[in-house]
Amino acid sequence: MRGALLVCKKEFMELSKDRKTMFFTFLMPVILYPLLFTMMGKLSQNDEATRKNKPSRIVLVDPGHVVEPLLKADGKAFEVVVAPSGDVKQAIRDQKLEMKLEVDADAATKLEGHKTFGLKATYDKSDDSSKLALSRLKETLQKQDKAWVQARLKALGASPDLAVPTKIATEDAGDMGLFVGKLIGGFLPYMLMIMMFAGSMNLGIYTTAGEKERGTLQSLLCTSLPRNQIIWGKLLFVFAVGIISALFNLLSMGLSIGRVISGGAGAAGAAGAPMGSLSALANPVTLSLTFLLMVPLGLLFANFIVMMGIQAKNTVEAGTAIMPGFVVVMVMAVFSMAPGIEKLAFLPYVPILNVSLAIRKLFSQQGNPLEYTIALLMTVGLAGALTWLSTRLLNRESVLFKV
Amino acid sequence: MIQLTDVHKTFTVKDKRTHLKKRIEAVRGISLTVKPGEIYGLLGPNGAGKSTTLRMIAGLMQADQGQIQVCGIDTLEKPEKARSVVGYLSTDLNVYGRFTPRELLRLFGEFQGVDAKVAERRGLHLLEKLQLLDFADVKMEGFSSGQKQKVSIARALLHDPKVVIFDEPTTGLDVLTAKTVLDLLRVMRAEGRSVIVSTHVMPLVDEICDRVGIIFDGELHGDAPPKQILETWNAKTLDEVFFQLAARSAAEV
Ligand SMILES: Nc1ncnc2c1ncn2[C@@H]1O[C@H](COP(=O)(O)OP(=O)(O)OP(=O)(O)O)[C@@H](O)[C@H]1O
Ligand SMILES: [Mg+2]
Repeated sequence: MRGALLVCKKEFMELSKDRKTMFFTFLMPVILYPLLFTMMGKLSQNDEATRKNKPSRIVLVDPGHVVEPLLKADGKAFEVVVAPSGDVKQAIRDQKLEMKLEVDADAATKLEGHKTFGLKATYDKSDDSSKLALSRLKETLQKQDKAWVQARLKALGASPDLAVPTKIATEDAGDMGLFVGKLIGGFLPYMLMIMMFAGSMNLGIYTTAGEKERGTLQSLLCTSLPRNQIIWGKLLFVFAVGIISALFNLLSMGLSIGRVISGGAGAAGAAGAPMGSLSALANPVTLSLTFLLMVPLGLLFANFIVMMGIQAKNTVEAGTAIMPGFVVVMVMAVFSMAPGIEKLAFLPYVPILNVSLAIRKLFSQQGNPLEYTIALLMTVGLAGALTWLSTRLLNRESVLFKV
Repeated sequence: MIQLTDVHKTFTVKDKRTHLKKRIEAVRGISLTVKPGEIYGLLGPNGAGKSTTLRMIAGLMQADQGQIQVCGIDTLEKPEKARSVVGYLSTDLNVYGRFTPRELLRLFGEFQGVDAKVAERRGLHLLEKLQLLDFADVKMEGFSSGQKQKVSIARALLHDPKVVIFDEPTTGLDVLTAKTVLDLLRVMRAEGRSVIVSTHVMPLVDEICDRVGIIFDGELHGDAPPKQILETWNAKTLDEVFFQLAARSAAEV
């Protein structure tokens, strides 16, 4: 094992001389997650907030002045504006106003005669602000309708309750933390896998086919180091790079969630959404269990990369050989993000996919010990088998001296 | 001591045009012995099988047939032990450009099981002899091919090998450095090491080789001191022997 460690040390020494690669492999995730979370939070908050706080601008055509007082009464929700010159629809599309509302000219008379009067709302279905204007209008009208009906009932001497046969009270059982957990659990396996694979791929090619190309591999081969130790050393290096990258990813993510919890507690608390269970994500147990799964997966990736890398004649060929593997991992990762995927019964038995599934469940706090164990054991077994295969395969002279 | 007994090596390559597999018999039954304190020169045209022979002695490649022993160690049976007594240099080998010569020598010392301090001292001593000491702490990325070759020489001799294998050691070196290398080889001989070199440079052979073997098409012709070879072939220079061999092989075909 001494030889393998020496070779691995040499690889790390070489890597340490390349600041740029170091940065992109290890430091990027550290910056990535805080940035990602902050941006995600800012975006959704900002958008909602500005829309909710701004009154909807409405061009009102209401000769009978029936609806006008309703809108004017709620200055927070509505702002009656003068019609712009030109096409109103275009103005709505250009977001110069949210809606045009036309009320029947004889609305006042109809209302008095207990008849239905019509309104025509023109809005942009594809625009959230415009949709908000419509729902605000509907809400206001609903309330007013009820008031009118109740007034009519009262005039008839009937109980105002006739207008409201049912009344529903709601309570939100959803857990904001769980929701965010599901969200993160959905994309985290994807991020982890891609980062791990991409990081070790470049360095893996550099230390295998790259060494062949640069003519340094032979100088290593003619030392008294046993061949399999050289291969193990390279494997160890590529594996370690993947693992370190996964570890940095997880740590950075855990820390950024931790910050979101402590920073966002006030705002979220006020909105009535319990964020407590979010802390389960930054929980060392969840993170450690996830990391534990990444270890054999990393070994699996490292084996694949080293095996393809050493068999290639040069770095370009190595890239071509490893790319399909990367694509498979990416497709699997994307597939694992699809909603409802966790209900597929065979999934826990598909290698790699079962890892991302297990991670997903860990983060949505539906962890299934059996599925987790299956995923772990399966990956460990596969990684072990591949290590055995690659040591046997790569030890061959025809591979090392492929020209 | 280097001992080769009826060594064979065949490569299988694919012809891209006919898509047929082709067997290249690079080495066809070579036997030779290099005693301690002796410099053996391998001569031969391009593709004759010199590098392949040397690679097999260095333990980089395995012979298909026959036996190779270095210091009495069988290269097939104990490849690691055999490699530990061999110092191998070839123009195919490159240095790790990201390291400085000092870093590289320390590292290879460790690979060879030599104490890092000892390796560094010995390596720097070699660099001094090769007039490269000023560059001991400069990244090798920008080195000229000759400078890299010098570092490679130091790397090859770092672990005090009993067997020294130099494949075209003076290629790419100026006359001054080439002379330094030859002097180094003489020192190796004086220290009782077995040295085998391959080259195209005939005067070099005349100057330092105790015995030469001429490889032609994977076979060894003549295994004798340079003078004796000239006598048997009735030639004035070793170049002439080459021409005769080429003519003979053409006639055979
Ligand atoms: N790894 C390999 N795979 C396939 N063929 C090879 C390999 N190595 C060498 N050969 C073939 O074996 C033959 C001998 O090659 P070798 O390198 O030993 O020649 P050489 O005598 O060193 O020539 P040169 O003077 O050009 O260095 C050549 O025909 C070469 O194409
Ligand atoms: Mg050669």
